[in-house]
Amino acid sequence: MRDYIIRRILYMIPTIIAISVIAFTIIRLPPGDYLTTVIAELSASGAAVDSGTIAALRDRYGLGDPSYIQYLKWISRIVLHGDFGLSFEKNVPVNALIWDRLGATFGISILTLLFIWAFAFPIGIFSAVRKYSMGDYVVTFFGFLGLATPNFLLALVLMYVSVRYFGQSVGGLVSPEFIDTAWSWDKAIDLVAHIWLPIVVIGASGMAALIRIMRANLLDELYRPYVVTARAKGMSEFSLLLRYPVRVALNPFLSTVGWMLPTLVSGEIVVSVVLSLPTTGPMLLRALLSQDMYLAGSIILIASLMTVLGTLLSDILLAWVDPRIRYQ
Amino acid sequence: MSATIAEPRLVLAGQWTLFWWKFRRHRVAVAGLGVILALYLVAAFAEFLAPFPPDLPNTRYTYAPPQALHLFMDGAFAPHVLGYKVQIDPVAMRRVFVENPAERIPVRFLAEGPAYDMWGLFPMRTHLIGVDRPGQPLFLLGADRLGRDLLSRVLYATRVSLSIGLVGVTISLSLGVLLGGLSGYFGGAIDTIIQRLIELVRSIPTIPLWMGMAAAVPTSWPPLRTYFIITLIISLIGWTSLAREVRGKFLVLRHEDFITAARLDGLSDLAIIYQHMVPSFLSHIIAAVTLAIPGMILAETALSFLGIGLQPPIVSWGVLLQESQNIRAVASAPWLLFAPGAAVVTAVLALNFLGDGLRDAADPYA
Amino acid sequence: MPDPLLRIEDLRTHFFTPEGVVKSVDGVDLTVTPGRTLAVLGESGCGKSVTARSILKIVDRPGRLVSGRMLWTRPDGSIADLASLPPTGPAIRAIRGREIAMIFQEPMTSLGPITSIGDQISETILLHHPISKAEAKSRTIAMLRRVGIPDPEARIAAYPFQLSGGMRQRAMIALALCCAPRLLIADEPTTALDVTTQANILDLMRALQAEDGMAMLFITHDLGVVAEIADEVAVMYLGRVVEQASVDAIFHAPRHPYTRALLRSIPRPGSRARLEAIRGSIPHPLARPAGCAFAPRCDQAIPGLCDTTPPDAYPTEAGSVRCHLHA
Repeated sequence: MRDYIIRRILYMIPTIIAISVIAFTIIRLPPGDYLTTVIAELSASGAAVDSGTIAALRDRYGLGDPSYIQYLKWISRIVLHGDFGLSFEKNVPVNALIWDRLGATFGISILTLLFIWAFAFPIGIFSAVRKYSMGDYVVTFFGFLGLATPNFLLALVLMYVSVRYFGQSVGGLVSPEFIDTAWSWDKAIDLVAHIWLPIVVIGASGMAALIRIMRANLLDELYRPYVVTARAKGMSEFSLLLRYPVRVALNPFLSTVGWMLPTLVSGEIVVSVVLSLPTTGPMLLRALLSQDMYLAGSIILIASLMTVLGTLLSDILLAWVDPRIRYQ
Repeated sequence: MSATIAEPRLVLAGQWTLFWWKFRRHRVAVAGLGVILALYLVAAFAEFLAPFPPDLPNTRYTYAPPQALHLFMDGAFAPHVLGYKVQIDPVAMRRVFVENPAERIPVRFLAEGPAYDMWGLFPMRTHLIGVDRPGQPLFLLGADRLGRDLLSRVLYATRVSLSIGLVGVTISLSLGVLLGGLSGYFGGAIDTIIQRLIELVRSIPTIPLWMGMAAAVPTSWPPLRTYFIITLIISLIGWTSLAREVRGKFLVLRHEDFITAARLDGLSDLAIIYQHMVPSFLSHIIAAVTLAIPGMILAETALSFLGIGLQPPIVSWGVLLQESQNIRAVASAPWLLFAPGAAVVTAVLALNFLGDGLRDAADPYA
Repeated sequence: MPDPLLRIEDLRTHFFTPEGVVKSVDGVDLTVTPGRTLAVLGESGCGKSVTARSILKIVDRPGRLVSGRMLWTRPDGSIADLASLPPTGPAIRAIRGREIAMIFQEPMTSLGPITSIGDQISETILLHHPISKAEAKSRTIAMLRRVGIPDPEARIAAYPFQLSGGMRQRAMIALALCCAPRLLIADEPTTALDVTTQANILDLMRALQAEDGMAMLFITHDLGVVAEIADEVAVMYLGRVVEQASVDAIFHAPRHPYTRALLRSIPRPGSRARLEAIRGSIPHPLARPAGCAFAPRCDQAIPGLCDTTPPDAYPTEAGSVRCHLHA
């Protein structure tokens, strides 16, 4: 088990390096060098730009140096000082802006993951055991519909319904009167009353996919010889179902977290724009549109890293559950 | 074995016949195939099917609601729509359109209408449906904020969105077959490197990555260039599932007896791949490709919706949906959301059904 | 003859497939005597495995028991008709694993892949006995020791993929025998094993049978295994028992033309005679011959009789035979 974890962590290192290179490339993608952007931004904000500031910036970002030096300067400041650079638009360190938002994004993504599991698991089992029943067809139909509906579209439809028929807007994570207040019971309850909508919206397509996966996995296992053995032991159908085929089918199900998490984070980012949630989505979109590249690049970098980390955790969890992986 | 070598066409025909028989049993998949063929026909003949060009404004009818198409008048077949009357909603204090039963606007088939170039080549004026006089309202799916006909815009958008799916999947497929094939056929270090690459691409949340790349596309670029670069960006990430599929098949086939036999016969690697391996998993690839197109369409829709994918004047489903980002606009003109939204859901649903049916038909053990 | 432990009369198990009804078991009669071994011999597809599964009512869909009786003598002396018990009800479940146990052909896939073998065995013991977990564990260890698994205290934590094929089959036998059943149904338990392991497993099963005094119903296609383990033999062909007799009678005085043909198709030490394959092939399950199922392949078939009228079972000195030649 320990060897397995060490090996997985070693595998992760090139991935992390590659992600940082990609993030850096994205920072550099917009045409023109940042200094132009900075000067443009600074003069637009009315600040006086003296040559000393420009020289300091030039040195700080390694402008004029070859790309790889720039990359090294950028990455070493992140690794050594936790310094992600400046948000040009707001003229504050990226650090001051992103962490709350990233926390909210990952909080919502993980809640969504739990929500998906809690429902997809029993529904998938039901759908497999009662294959070709009325219930199975209903589940399958909604599953396909969920897969085919982009989550932002679902968000828009739900918002339309609530505005049109309930006369209220459902955006945000808390009601407007709570936005700047300290945490209290009332605020927590208000949060719960709001947060279910993004969770359902973001989770819909993932849930549909997971139900189909669970159903297919279980159908694969349901007619295996070991199920017959368990039946021949005298176990009841229900307990043998949970004890054997469901347990085996559970593992590929758990391993889906590896691609679920990136998908959910992606979905959260689009949906949060629609529902105007205080998460990374609106901030990233705004940063990209205004070419505030250090902010955008840092968000992409950290969101990707956290996803990779989440995937690692899920792999370890999987090895812990499945002896076949643990003893490899 | 000898039969396979002597009469490959016969054996292949058998395989495809079996494939078709199995596929036919899935009624939803066959229905999906029908819908997809219809949608691609729409995409091909959008200019002819649309009553108006997509960007023809009609300022008298901004946000006009959809009209009902009446087929009969006084018991005789005479398709027509009713004109609009403008009223002021006393509560909301805004203009609302109501049907005007006094004004009947006949709907003509194969009508002469605004000029267009079919496929950009042939100047034509004939539309499938149209009105007698220019300026008469015909908004079967409603109008947008500039009074443009939403039906026409959705029809034109079908061409863009569906072709992005096809072009994107072609690029993805080339990448996927190349890298997946290398990985599965040679194995060893090449396989490890490519597998790591695939894992890397899959572990990054796609939307932020797409957003980062798409946002770098200058808005000043000509539409066609934007179209291709966005398609390329989408397919750069979509190739991994196809590569996995191809690799898996190669790994299984590599140890099959008939491949060993071909190798012992002295065939080159390329000849083995193209003459023996590809035909035996082509049906799987077709299924995987069909299932990959919806992802492309959804990606384009999401990016354009956010305003960093395709830009007007290109019309795609995502570009149309961008208009409904404002929930106030949607509340008063829900057709802006539901018409393109229904188009996306229909296309993706049909492709998924079709792909599922193809996959089942391709798998001899299912 | 003592009273039979299990008497199967006119058992019919059919599979209702979209292509038609496959009559896998179509009128089987069998008698199992306490403490003795009945081998059911036949080619693949003759219905021997389906017969075995029908007894425990674990035939997978679309298979269904259509008719017949299976009279089982309970430990208290009462008689239960297994055929009439609902297949998922508590009555048959109390018999499964406790009174009648079964071992399967493929030890790799017949054990749950991610549950330790110790858990799989003690779970069965706990299912049928009101004892503590600790006691179930010590019984499990004792059982593993009896089937010859070395270091059973450590091996109870092992997973099936960590054991060799022979060890897995031993674990499977331990699983079947952990509740001391009165009848053990063994469905080709040695087919998937190599020859040496095969012999070890057969020896083990015989020894355990001698200790526990249980009866065995041994399904096999292997005449060598039959000679090794059986007291009685039932030869099956296309869903029916064509001949039942003592093992000596089968080998030395086979009556049915099919049994004789089978015996001619195996090599004998010292004999220089050519091996004879049975002419033709088994008919398609959906196209059963009208009369005797073996008639199309039988050298002695009587035209006008064997190909039109199914033969009854006729008594012989050592059992019975279903053939017009012995009417």
